[in-house]
Amino acid sequence: MNRILLIARREFMAYAKTVGFWLSLLAFPIFAVLGGALPILMQTSQPIRQVVLIEEGPAAAGLAAAVQDSFACDRERRLENRSEAQEAAAKAAGYAGGTAASEALNRIGGPRMQFVEVPSDLATTPSGEPREALARKYLGDEVPEAQQLDAVVFLTRGEDAPSARVWTRRATDDAVEDVVRAALRDAHRRDVFQTAGIDSSVVSAMEAFRPEITALSPQSASGGEVSFRDRLPGIVGLASGFLLWSLVITGASILLNSVMEEKSNKILEVLLSSASATEMMTGKVLGVAMLTGTVMLVWGGIGAFGLLTSFPQTAVDIGAVLMDGGLIFYFLAYAVGGYLMYAVLFAAIGAFCETPRDAQTLMGPIMMILVVPILVMQMALQTPDAAVVRILSWVPFFTPFLMSARAPSEPPMFEIVGTMVGMFAFTLLMIWLAGRAFRAGALSDVKLSWKSFASAMRGGS
Amino acid sequence: MTAALTLESVSKRYGDFQAVRELSFQVEKGQICGFLGPNGAGKTSTLRMILGLQAVTTGSIDILGADDGRKVRDRIGFLPEERGLYKKMTPIDAIAFFGALKGLPQAEGRKRARDLLEQQGLGASRNKKMKELSKGMAQKVQLIAAVVHRPEFVILDEPFSGLDPVNQQGLEAMIRGLAADGATVLFSTHVMQHAERLCDKVVLLARGRKAFEGTVTEARATSPRFLELEGEISSAAVAALPGVSSVDHTGGDEAGVRILKATLAPGAGGQEALKAAFLGGLDVRRFELREPSLHDAFIGLTGDHPDQDTSTKALEASQ
Repeated sequence: MNRILLIARREFMAYAKTVGFWLSLLAFPIFAVLGGALPILMQTSQPIRQVVLIEEGPAAAGLAAAVQDSFACDRERRLENRSEAQEAAAKAAGYAGGTAASEALNRIGGPRMQFVEVPSDLATTPSGEPREALARKYLGDEVPEAQQLDAVVFLTRGEDAPSARVWTRRATDDAVEDVVRAALRDAHRRDVFQTAGIDSSVVSAMEAFRPEITALSPQSASGGEVSFRDRLPGIVGLASGFLLWSLVITGASILLNSVMEEKSNKILEVLLSSASATEMMTGKVLGVAMLTGTVMLVWGGIGAFGLLTSFPQTAVDIGAVLMDGGLIFYFLAYAVGGYLMYAVLFAAIGAFCETPRDAQTLMGPIMMILVVPILVMQMALQTPDAAVVRILSWVPFFTPFLMSARAPSEPPMFEIVGTMVGMFAFTLLMIWLAGRAFRAGALSDVKLSWKSFASAMRGGS
Repeated sequence: MTAALTLESVSKRYGDFQAVRELSFQVEKGQICGFLGPNGAGKTSTLRMILGLQAVTTGSIDILGADDGRKVRDRIGFLPEERGLYKKMTPIDAIAFFGALKGLPQAEGRKRARDLLEQQGLGASRNKKMKELSKGMAQKVQLIAAVVHRPEFVILDEPFSGLDPVNQQGLEAMIRGLAADGATVLFSTHVMQHAERLCDKVVLLARGRKAFEGTVTEARATSPRFLELEGEISSAAVAALPGVSSVDHTGGDEAGVRILKATLAPGAGGQEALKAAFLGGLDVRRFELREPSLHDAFIGLTGDHPDQDTSTKALEASQ
């Protein structure tokens, strides 16, 4: 036992002392802050575009007003959506918090632009090449900064439909173009309906119509209307499945690299003379588990803190979901089984390899296997009892991920017990086989192949 | 004396390849035993079986009273042929870590590591990372790591390989020191000179079989003594000298001076040959009676050259 702990501690310290470990520890909070702040930053840092609208010819009369109206309507619609989002945020925060989230939402909107008066020379210059040349001048640096424009829009109306030529300061900026396109489409639609004898107020009313839909299910907490709280267990299950998947990938990869490093540095043989292959593998697996566990705990702590301060009610609901029927213990059991199963396999592969290239022969197919639960887990969220999900849940390689995703939907007890027994039995078999392969690989210089790996598993030393 | 290690009819087979055949030998407590043979003779396989890292195919091994090296691993120190330590660890941490794996308390391990590094002239490097040390320094650190727990039995696989002559001398002194402290030392090598200087006993291995077991003197005695003669002499004249069983031409110059190696028949002393050469008026400018070296004995006993590669390595590795 002492040797196992010594090896585990060395494994933990070897990584905990690296810059990479601290970077990955801080990555989550940094990216969480960046992820939340970036859209707001990008939005608020957008310049307010100075746009002029010029109607060319009497036929174009009213198009400038139509563009301005359309832009104003769009803003109004965005404000409406935002207040709905604010309401949802406040609800999720238990009507007590969420101020910061609401404020953040307030800052998010559509493109920022201001319609300004047409400069007198531009208004009076006859249309055609001289006017276009003047527009180019206002979009460049030839005029004083205060007079510079971001876009000049020439609106015309042909026989069938309105059209526009949009001059912009930057060729890559298509925000004004999008606004004008939408406005002219609306104007054209109104014209067409009016020609057909349909009143524009009817058209507006139809466009504004939003059906009210109430989701109901006998399985909801109220026995009727489905709330976010009812959907939360599924989301928590899926999140747990993905979290476990990333834990397995991260932990097993660290283990693979660690064993490869020991193999290439010729340390494995001397280690094997000091500890048994089982002790070594257990120590390493435990050390890496402590490492990934530390990262997860720190991330979980930061996430829980963020959730409690921003959305306390959701945090309470998630806590309740995890404790409901001991769900968290199922997750832990699947995490232990899944991690052990893959960790020992990766460690055994590492014992045959000195470089990542050596490991590719076996890692390719294993990574392909690991993609399957990612695809099926998403299906498990909506239809946890689909035949393919239920069948694949019995495959030990997939059990930890799929059953984690399915657990909140309360699958039949025989499936829970059966898959868990199967998973742990298979995990024990993997530990035994991987232990033999590990010892054989550590003392061997043979190139890794399926044949050599299978032979090592069969023969041990 | 009591045996620290006994091998009885030990064989190791990898698939169709027989790496070790019916090997039996004994090492007494406190002895320095050289395990000699060319590369690929089966030395590493045997050492791994002694340590319990590989299972014997047939036969039995008794080490420090146990039938499996793994049962007494804390009482054994091992330096493998392919050496390495954690590159980012400091010597003192590495030594303490490997000592701790053998049951030595960490604090005691660090104290001993400091003392041993100081003794080996590595005191100034004790807190450097292993990757910053030279190969010779790293090898010394690894040897210290192998013996820091003061093992009763020390197994060293090709300990001299890769070392310069100065470090080889230092290592020889270290091995003598281990034996002086009461440890039994078994080391493998294909360089006979180290064994000649160090060993109380040698076991010669060729193509997986034991070719000889005994002291260095006994090993040498299995090979005939020979004369080295230099002068304007013919092979036929030397062959006719009393006690000479065969003659080999080993060198010479354009002026007709030749160097001849005359192997003596068992029991022949060389005095009669010297006397006959003078009486016969042979133009002998140099006459030397040479004792056979362990190298000569090895060739005589096995027919192999100790530096050649009778490689079983690839086969060993492939299993």
